[in-house]
Formats: sequence, structure tokens, C-alpha cells
Amino acid sequence: MKLNKYYIYIYIFLLPFIFLSQENFPVNGVKETNEVTHAFINADIYINYNEKITGATLIIKNDKIIDVGKNIKIPKESIIHDLTNFTICPSFIDIFSEYGQSQDIQNEQSLGSWNSALNIEYNAVNHFLINKKEAKSFINSGFGLVNSLKRDGIIRGTSTLVYLSYEKPNESIFLDRSTLCMSFKKGSSTEAYPNSLMGSIALLRQAYYDLDWYENTQGDYNNSLEAFSRYKNLPKIFEVNNYQSIFRADKIGKEFDDNFIIKTSGHEYQRAKELKAINRPLIVPLNFPKINPKNDPYDNLELSLKELKHWEMAPFNPAILMTNNVQFSLTTNGQNISDFFDDLQTAISCGFSKNEALKSLTYYPAKFLKIYDKVGSISKGKKANFLIYSGELFSKNFFIYENWINGNKHEINNRNGIKLLGDYTLFVDEEKQGIIQFNNNNKEITAHFVNDTLKKRAINNIELVGQRISFSYNNHLFSGVFDLDVFGEMKDSLGNWKNWKLVRNNEKSTPITEKNQSYFEHGDILFPNMAYGLTENPKQESILFKNATVWTNESRGIIQNCDVAIERGKILRVGKNLKTSIFRNSKNVKIIDATGKHITSGIIDEHSHIAISQGVNEATQAVTSEVRIGDVINANDINIYRQLAGGVTVAQLLHGSANPIGGQSAIIKLRWGQSAENLKYLNAQSFIKFALGENVKQSNWGSKYSTRFPQTRMGVEQIIYDAFIRAKEYEYNSKNYKKKKTPKPRKDLELDALVEILNKKRFITCHSYIQSEINMLINLAEEFGFTINTFTHVLEGYKIADKLKNHGSNASTFSDWWAYKYEVNDAIPHNASILNKMGVNTAINSDDAEMGRRLNHEAAKMIKYGNTSQEDAWKMVTLNPAKMLHIDDYVGSLRKNKDADIVIWSMNPLSVYSIVEQTYVDGRCYFSIEKDNEHRGYIKKEKNRLLNKLMNQK
Amino acid sequence: MHKFLIIIFLSAQWGFSQDLNEENSKRYILTGGTAHIGNGEVIENSTIIIENGKIVAIGSSDLVIVNKKRGITYNLMGKHIYPSFILPNTTLGLVEIDAVRATRDERETGNLNPNVRTQIAYNTESIVASTVRANGILLAQITPRGGLISGTSSIMKLDGWNWEDATYLKDDGIHLYWPELHDYHYHGHSHIFTASDITEEKEEKSKVLEAISSLNHLFQKVQQYSKLKQKETDLRLKSLQGLFTGQQTLYIHVNGANGIKESILFSKKYNIKKIVIVGASESWRITDFILKNDIPIILGRVHSLPNHAEDDIDQAYKTPKILKESGILFCLNYAGDMPRMGSRNLPFLAGTTVAYGLTKEEALQLITLNPAKILGIDDRTGSLETGKEANLFISSGDALDMISHNIEMLFLMGKEVPLENHQTRLYQKYLEKFQLEE
Repeated sequence: MKLNKYYIYIYIFLLPFIFLSQENFPVNGVKETNEVTHAFINADIYINYNEKITGATLIIKNDKIIDVGKNIKIPKESIIHDLTNFTICPSFIDIFSEYGQSQDIQNEQSLGSWNSALNIEYNAVNHFLINKKEAKSFINSGFGLVNSLKRDGIIRGTSTLVYLSYEKPNESIFLDRSTLCMSFKKGSSTEAYPNSLMGSIALLRQAYYDLDWYENTQGDYNNSLEAFSRYKNLPKIFEVNNYQSIFRADKIGKEFDDNFIIKTSGHEYQRAKELKAINRPLIVPLNFPKINPKNDPYDNLELSLKELKHWEMAPFNPAILMTNNVQFSLTTNGQNISDFFDDLQTAISCGFSKNEALKSLTYYPAKFLKIYDKVGSISKGKKANFLIYSGELFSKNFFIYENWINGNKHEINNRNGIKLLGDYTLFVDEEKQGIIQFNNNNKEITAHFVNDTLKKRAINNIELVGQRISFSYNNHLFSGVFDLDVFGEMKDSLGNWKNWKLVRNNEKSTPITEKNQSYFEHGDILFPNMAYGLTENPKQESILFKNATVWTNESRGIIQNCDVAIERGKILRVGKNLKTSIFRNSKNVKIIDATGKHITSGIIDEHSHIAISQGVNEATQAVTSEVRIGDVINANDINIYRQLAGGVTVAQLLHGSANPIGGQSAIIKLRWGQSAENLKYLNAQSFIKFALGENVKQSNWGSKYSTRFPQTRMGVEQIIYDAFIRAKEYEYNSKNYKKKKTPKPRKDLELDALVEILNKKRFITCHSYIQSEINMLINLAEEFGFTINTFTHVLEGYKIADKLKNHGSNASTFSDWWAYKYEVNDAIPHNASILNKMGVNTAINSDDAEMGRRLNHEAAKMIKYGNTSQEDAWKMVTLNPAKMLHIDDYVGSLRKNKDADIVIWSMNPLSVYSIVEQTYVDGRCYFSIEKDNEHRGYIKKEKNRLLNKLMNQK
Repeated sequence: MHKFLIIIFLSAQWGFSQDLNEENSKRYILTGGTAHIGNGEVIENSTIIIENGKIVAIGSSDLVIVNKKRGITYNLMGKHIYPSFILPNTTLGLVEIDAVRATRDERETGNLNPNVRTQIAYNTESIVASTVRANGILLAQITPRGGLISGTSSIMKLDGWNWEDATYLKDDGIHLYWPELHDYHYHGHSHIFTASDITEEKEEKSKVLEAISSLNHLFQKVQQYSKLKQKETDLRLKSLQGLFTGQQTLYIHVNGANGIKESILFSKKYNIKKIVIVGASESWRITDFILKNDIPIILGRVHSLPNHAEDDIDQAYKTPKILKESGILFCLNYAGDMPRMGSRNLPFLAGTTVAYGLTKEEALQLITLNPAKILGIDDRTGSLETGKEANLFISSGDALDMISHNIEMLFLMGKEVPLENHQTRLYQKYLEKFQLEE
């Protein structure tokens, strides 16, 4: 029994080797033996990324390492290679590559999944073809293994891990199915869904739930899910295109308890600490951006500080990740392989250590793919994958001569070449001509001629073939051989043949000049790393604002000569003549004289689309309740900062209005500089966007869009009605399947959200215009026993204000927009005033990034249109939206223990002449006129510094 | 009786503001109000006399001698009198509802259409225009869009029976949309278009150059055309002749600093007499150049996001202050998103410039006397001055601030214009339904 297990172990371990060494291909001619042993002696050997032994021996037999170390026995039959002055290191592994995958192959129509962006059953191994040109550039750059994958789709099927070679594709495969690959991009899928990032996320999550369902029910065969089930234990590579998406992928990984190796974009330094915290292995590219500065300073206005800062910081990315102990491998993907060493050296000059670089090209990629037992270091029993090089690892003189892959030698440069390096005196017919210097960069051996006046000129066309050398200079053509001496014949420019020789000088050649040191310094990393980004999160302050006009939004109304005290992110007290003694720590209280100023709670924008990444609408299907804005918050939207300057502290980020049942909403606090997750307002309940009318029936989408149901308001009712019927059945079946002995229903993210609505755990914000549709949805909701929380836009709300009141809806509207569509023909600017007078809780929203920073103006218009009182008008952008978002216990008015989200205004906030002087969120000052002025000065200086640096690089 | 009924019917159903002819000759005496002249001056406790459609007297009540027996006297103590606002560069009356193609008449197909004229497509029954009028805007430059040269604008009254009747100044100018590498036309969105890579940038650049060369070609032909004695009629070339006589103004819609400079030099090269820059959101960077060339500006919407992330966040709000200090003649307009329905907020754009540095009277000039000067109608309107037309309104409060903007009476060429419109009627109707008080 034990023995049996042992054999199985051996068998599994050897499986790929046994398979590969078998000859099932016909041989042309007589059989050639492969039994060869090589001994590499007198070499310095990196046996792994951080252990180097000197004067050591490496012995390989066929494709495997037999032994390595000092003073080891050399088998008699060995071919001996003297590697004095050479170093051996493990060859490199790139686990994210499109090598050998044809770009032409479109995603095959999936047999199993309804959506061809889920191409789980795709196997890159079936489409792998050797590409000699690409193989050569990889081999020349020191790579031995690459993980070849098709970058197409959300689930992209499996990759294949291949040796780099020029022939024998059957012997190139190291692992036929090495990883399962994923991304958020649907690629060439012709399916309309998903058209947004949040749709991609939903589709992927649903796929995971479907897998669980498939494995636990005896349902019909499904090719896609079968493949998912088969490959689910493979390592998974998840490609993202910006650093915020790393956290999005991480969240999915956590939800399904899955490990991802995340292929990143090179911006990770911007959130390195948070990356360490999630502790996911990364695959990091070295594609450092190149910027062409313009001479015209007006053209340079279009060059953003964000681009410039990233241009400067990108080479520091590996070093910063290293310092933060983030595990990552490097990839050449996204760049020209011939630039790889240049970029790697730049990264090293920026603080990335050489050992860590080797680690990220050998140890980590092998470890991530769980093949470190076979490759990634030089030790007994591992594959014979190694490089022979001269010079110092990854420095300017690092020069690869041979790349041994799977025991096969690939000569990149002749080892004899090393003998040539150095300074020589050139004699022609025994007459001294000058000095010739042979050096090497990473790619080739170069030569320079130095004449008596010390003028240095490059010698072109230097060619080394075996021990033969040829070059030309001033139309003199040289031919020769080199061993210990270099000599030969030449034909001079007049056509005369002469003898020449090089006599080695003992002086060292001049070192290659390194790049200017200032290049390797960088400016602050800002959060976010762009204009108006912060160097650190503002501190939570204890402040006593004295003697202001305070708009409490409470029964106390507007109080003159009133004080406001904030501490620990909350409002401590609002009242007259407050003393510092009321603070828990009275010593650290900042007293601000607010005489003549007005203080209000922060503005709450109930309807906003700022700070959303890659798509506000999942516009493809009529029902998309599975998508979540919360998955795609963009913390780097400059409009967050701009709106803080307009006094906004909370915003509800809504899905667009492209479909009757849209996506789930997110409520954020405008904590500029924080990560997307930290913007989310934790006290908030769950909301979802619905929409009615012209947008959802695609009236204005062009004549092509005339087939998706619904195309009429009649259809809109039925779609929503049907969705809730399905949700009810789903909920019933999910609760009662055991009793009824039916299979457990598949978890459906779309219906889950609707069940939450039915159970009053999720609340609807419905885009609506005309009274008939509003009335329809009220009736529909009442039939299902829930309330439509908010009708937004609701421009004809005034016509059925009584019905809205009776149903218990809130109304969130524009001040004076209309006439952009037919359905807003009867919109009137008095809408909010009538609704307010009828007792409907009414808000004014922006739906627009510019208007979002002037919501005080919009509220003030309700005084003009419909004689709303000033206090009521102000509530329309503060307390009323807080109520409709169910956060009025925390924000929306100035009351003890509410969040210290407050705004200091220069005068009555409803006046067009008023400006915001300070904005606090959670007692932290995110905007003030003083700070803003500092930002402006900094931006000017920083952009100037970067442009100068860029011009100097030119 | 019969006549009376008709008037009731019309005003109830359609809000026809036109009144009987004899109303033109009505004499009004506005006394006691604060008169904001429009040229920077204010007269407290003023008296204004309107006769035959014109202001025949204006001054401090102590100084104006009034025969109160004739005409209608309004005591305006505590109220404000303003010259009516002027809205340049608008498509009011050309488009009613954006989403309904049949109602869109602002954009002809093709790139060079100087000969198409807005005057004859202007809809005097525009419901949108009637709501804009109610906020104090009585004159507007109706401007065509599209292509490189979109057509010929006319200045129209926001009140009239038909386009002939509503015409204030026929064919005042030609509108040129200068091709630019960068797109500055977004309002309310954070996206600024820039070419994403070098190839794309080159393509964009060549498109821009191609467009400029087509403009050069056209203007060369125009110059030649004016010299020909016998010629085939070419409507396109003919329509541009006014630019060389000074009869018409060339309005160049352009935003970037380089585009502004290029387009001004272009126009000077062809000896175009009157040039106005429209949009000009980056003009604040090159005020010296603009001033030296003496080019007035119709400035892009004040309520705009900055063009670049690096720009001062309030750049659009404070650009008027910078232009004012430079001495450039400029006024405001409302082109952009929601351009027609939103244009009733024109006074609040002016109000915003006060929050960012101008005085209230300076801000008022930007929507009254300055646009009148720039459009070439300041001899007739734009300020409350003796001899000018009585284009004015009475507000109970500061008309530049939404908190107090409240128009009570509106006069166009001395004639009272009703404030009622589609929206106020719906408002009244539903106040009544729910028995609410106004």
C-alpha cells in the first residue's frame, strides 16, 4: 500500500518528463543519441536568487541538473566547459505572455456559457504555435519559460507553459494547462453584455455561483461549467488595467475564497501599502511611459500632471513594491522585449535591488505557478534552464552568451567574445594607429577607435562569428581572428592589402557613464497622484467655530451669533457662547472666528454620476440589478475635490437610466484622497436605480435600437412586473426546495437584488418624468407590497403630488431643467415647491458634475419659483436628501452627535454671491480657500519641475 | 367686445404677448425705483419716462420733471429697474426639444454654409423662448451651428408675431467654428478630449490643418469674387461680402490660446473689418494679444468645469474678473449643455462673477450694455439712457441673485410683455388643483 502511493508520487512528478522524452515522432535518418553530460567548471553560480557560489561546477545530463556546487565529482563522460570569468544564473520565466498565440483567432462561440466573454473551455495549448522571431527575442533576453495565454475575454480559459525553442512544438510544452486566466475585459466577445466594468464584475461573480450550482446539482452537461470545474484548482491569473481594479479583483477573490495572481498595469506604487495588506501575488510590467514634450507651452497644457507624475514614478514602481514587501514577478508583456533590460536597469537605478529583480524573474514566477520544485533555481533534479553571462547581473555590462533551456544550448553570443573585451593598440603593418576599445552593452559588443588626439569614434559593423572578427573603419576593411591575440589582414581605402594586429593594453577602459543622478529622484506621491492630490489624509480636528449664522435644519432653525463645536468627527454642540471646556480634550481645540460667516451641514447630492469607473450604464439588458456601482467607484475623479469646493460632502452615485431595472447604487462621502472602499458611507443602506420612459425604451438611441424589449411605456410596466414575479418565485423556491425535494435553485444575483426590494432591504431610486409612468410604478409597487423610496427627476411629480404623498415616496428633482426630451415638455421649475408644499420630502439634485458644485444656487431657485422659504429651500439639498437616503440620523443637519460634515460659507449660502470657505467631512478639513491656494502653488511648481525634467531627457 | 374676447382667448390659450398697436404709443412713468443703468451707474429713487417705445427721460426723481396726467405711473419704491438682458450666441427658436429631430433647425449639413440664415427659421412661438423671456432676456442673437462656417445669425426679439416682426437686426454676422486640436466644448463633464497617442495626434493635427486650408481657399475665392465685374452668382461667396464692408461681423468660435491667435491673424489677413471671439475659455491666458488686436469676446459659459485638471477649480468663475482687469470688451453667453432652456439663468452667470471679483454693476454690464456694444446695437439698446429703446424690466429684488430675482413687469420697445408662459400656466393649474397658495 505504501509502496503503491510512492509510485504514484513518482509517476505524477515525472509525468511531463516521461511524456516529453518519449519519441513518438518519426525520425528522419538515423537516430541521434540525446545522452549528453555537460560539466561547467570554474563558474560563479547563482544557485538561487540570493545565493551565489564562486568557482563552482554545474553538471547537467540531458534536460536535468545532476549536481551543482564546489568540489563535486565530474563524470568522466562529461563535455567540459571552462567558465572562468562567467556567471551562471537560472533562466528567466515570464508567466504572462501572448507568445505563440495567434491574435487572429477570435473567441470561439462558447458551447456552454450564454456569454462568449466566458470562454472557460478555451485551451491556449491547442492554439500554440512556435514563433521563431518572438522566441529569439525572448531567448536573447534570457527567458527560458513563458506562460502563453490568450488575452481575450473575462474568463479566458487556460494558458500553457512552454519552453522557448525554435523547433519541435511537441517538446515545447512544459505544462499543457498551467493557469486559468481572467480579466474584466470582455475582449472580442460579440455579446452586447457586459458593456461596463460593473457588468464584467457581475458576470464573473455569477459564473462562480453557477459553478457552485453546477457542481452541486445533477443538471445537464454544460461545457463551460464543466471546464470551470475541471480547471478551478489551477493557479489563476487575473489581468487588470489600473491599480484600483486590483482591489476589485481582490474582492472577488475574497468572496469566492480564491487565489489570484494579479497582472497589473505598473501604477501600483500609488497604493503600495494597501497592496501589501491584501497580500496577493502580482505580475508587474516594466512598460514605463514615454512622453514627447511639446515645445509650445500651450500644447503642454494638455499634458496633465497625472501623466507627468506617472512618467516620473513608473520606474520606481518595482522598488516601491519591494520596499513594501509585495511579492511580484516581472513580465515583458506590454513592452518591446528588446527594451526589457534598459527598463529593468532604470528600475534598478531607481532602487530596485538586483537580487530582487532576479527573484522576480525566477523564484516568484515559479512559486506563483507552483513549479518551483522544477524550475526557478539551479539545484539537483531541476530542469537545466540557466544562463551563462559575463559582467555584473543586470548592470550595464551584463551580457548573456548562452541560454540553456531544457538542456538545449542557445548561443546568443560566442563565449570567445569575452576575451575580446578591453583596450588595445591597433597596429597596421607594425605602425601604431591608435587605441581600440571593446566594450559591451546588454545587447552587443561595441568598439570605439581613439586616435592620438583622443577623439573617440564608434566602429561600425563589428561582426564576431566564432573566432572570426571583421569590422570597418574609415573605409578600411578589417578581417581577422582572435584568440589570445587579435590579428589579420586589411584592405585600406585605396585598395591596398596590409597586415594588422591589436595589442592588449593593461589600462582599464573608461566606465560607461550612468544617467544623471537627478533622474533617480522623484516628487511626492499624492493621493490621488494628480492635481489637487493630498500628501496625507487631513487630521480629524477639534474645532470651535464662534459667532456664525448657523443653519441647523432642526426645530431651532437659523440661529444668529451661534457657535458650533466639533470633535472626533462628530458635532459636539451647537449653541451660543460655547466654551472650550465642553471638549473632552480642551487643550487641542482650534478656535475659528466665524463672525459674518454662515455654517451649514454639508450638501448631499442625491443624484450624481461622478467618481464612477468605466461605465455608468450597463446598458445592454432591460434588467441589470446584478451590477453594482459600489464595485466601480473611482476615487481619483477630480470632481470629488471640485464638489467639496462647492460644499458637497455626501453623494449617491447612481447607475444610469438605460434600462428599466438598472444597477445598485453607492453612497459615498467625499473623502478626497482615500481609496474607493474608504469613500463608501458605511452607515448607508442599500439602494438601486430603476428608470422609466424615453431612455429605457431607447427612444433617442437612434434607429438601430428598436428591438430590445421594451420599446413602449406599456412594455416597461411588463418588464418590471415580470421581474418581480420571477423574484417572488425564486425566493419561494430558494426557501422551499428542500421541502419540495426539488434541486436547489441556482443563485441569481439579478433576482437576489429584487428579492431584497420585496423584503424592504433595498430601496428604489427611480428615474421618471411623466405622471403616467410614475403612477404606474406606484401601483405596481403597492401590488407587491413595497414603496418606491424615491422618484428622481420626477419632473411631472407636481401633477400627482397627492399620489406621491400617499404612497410615501420621496422626490428628488432638478431645479429648472426641461425641454431636452419630449417627456420633459411639461416640466416646470415650480415642481419642487409644489411637492414640498404638498408634504412630499423633496430634494434638488445635480446629475451633473458642474452643477454638483453649485447646488446652493439650485436650491435658491425654489425661492424664486414657487416661494419656498429659505429654510425649506436649504433643506432640499441637505436634510431632505439625507432622509431619502436613510442617513438623516447621521448627516443632513447640525445636531449633537451627527457627523461633523460641515461647510463654512462667506454669506447666506442661498445667495449667488456666497462662496464656500471651508468644507469638513468627519471633522477633517478636505477643502479650504487657504489649502486650495497651497494646492495651486504646488501644482504650478510640480508641473514645472516635471516639464523641465522631461525637456532635459529629450 | 368682440376684440376683447379675442385677446382673452389668445392670451389664455397661447400667451400671445402682442398687444394692440395703440399700446406702442402708451406713456409710462416709472418712479421711485433703483435704476441700474447698465453702464455701471445706479440711480436711486429714479424716474423714467417711456414714450413711443423709447426712454425719453431718466434721472433722479428730484431732477426729472414729470407730467403725471398723461400716461400710466408706477410707483416703484423699493424695486429695481434693469435694462433687459441680451443673449448672444444662442439657438433659441431654432430648436425646441433636443431629442425630437423634427424640432431641430440649428445645424445644416456640410462644412461651409455661410449663406444659410437663422432669421427665417426663427420660431416666434417657441415655448422655451417664452420662459427665457420671463427672466428678463428680450433680445437674442440666433446663431447657427455646425461645420466650419455654420451660417448667418440675426438678432431677434423674443416676442413677435412672425420672424419679420421679431427681427431686431437682420443678418448681423457670420459664424466661423475654428478647428482646434483640443476640444474645449464640454460643459458639465469631466472629460477633455485629447489624442491618446502620437499617431492619433498626428491624424488630428492633419485634420485641423486641412480644415484651415479649406477656409483659406474659401476666403481667397471670396476676395477674388468681389473684384469680378461679371460673375455667376455663388450664394456662398456672395453671403460673405458683408465681412469686407463692415456690414457684418465675423464671429469666431474658438477656445484655445493658439486657436484664438491663429484665427485672429487669419481674419486680419483677409481684411475682415469686425471680428468677435466666441467661447474663448482660454482667453485669460493671452489678454495682451487680444487687447492689442482690439477684439471683443463673447465669453463661454461661466458655469463650466475647468478645461484641465490642473486649472484653478474656479477658473471659469473668475475668468470675467481677469478679462475685466485687462480692459478687453466682453460679454457672457450660455452655449453648451442645455443651452436654450438653461439660458434663463444668464443673470445668475453674471451673479457668479460677483462672487469671484466683479462688482454687481460691472456684472450687469456683461449681459446688457457690453453685448449690445459687441453685437453693434448699443445705439438702440443695452442701457437705460435717454433716446434708447425702452427695453427694460422691473424686479422686486436684485436680479442677478436667484434668491431675489423676481420680475414683475417687462417692457420691450416700450410695450409691456406678459410674463405668463407654458410653465406658469401649469403651475397655476396645479396650485388650483391642490388648492395651494402661491
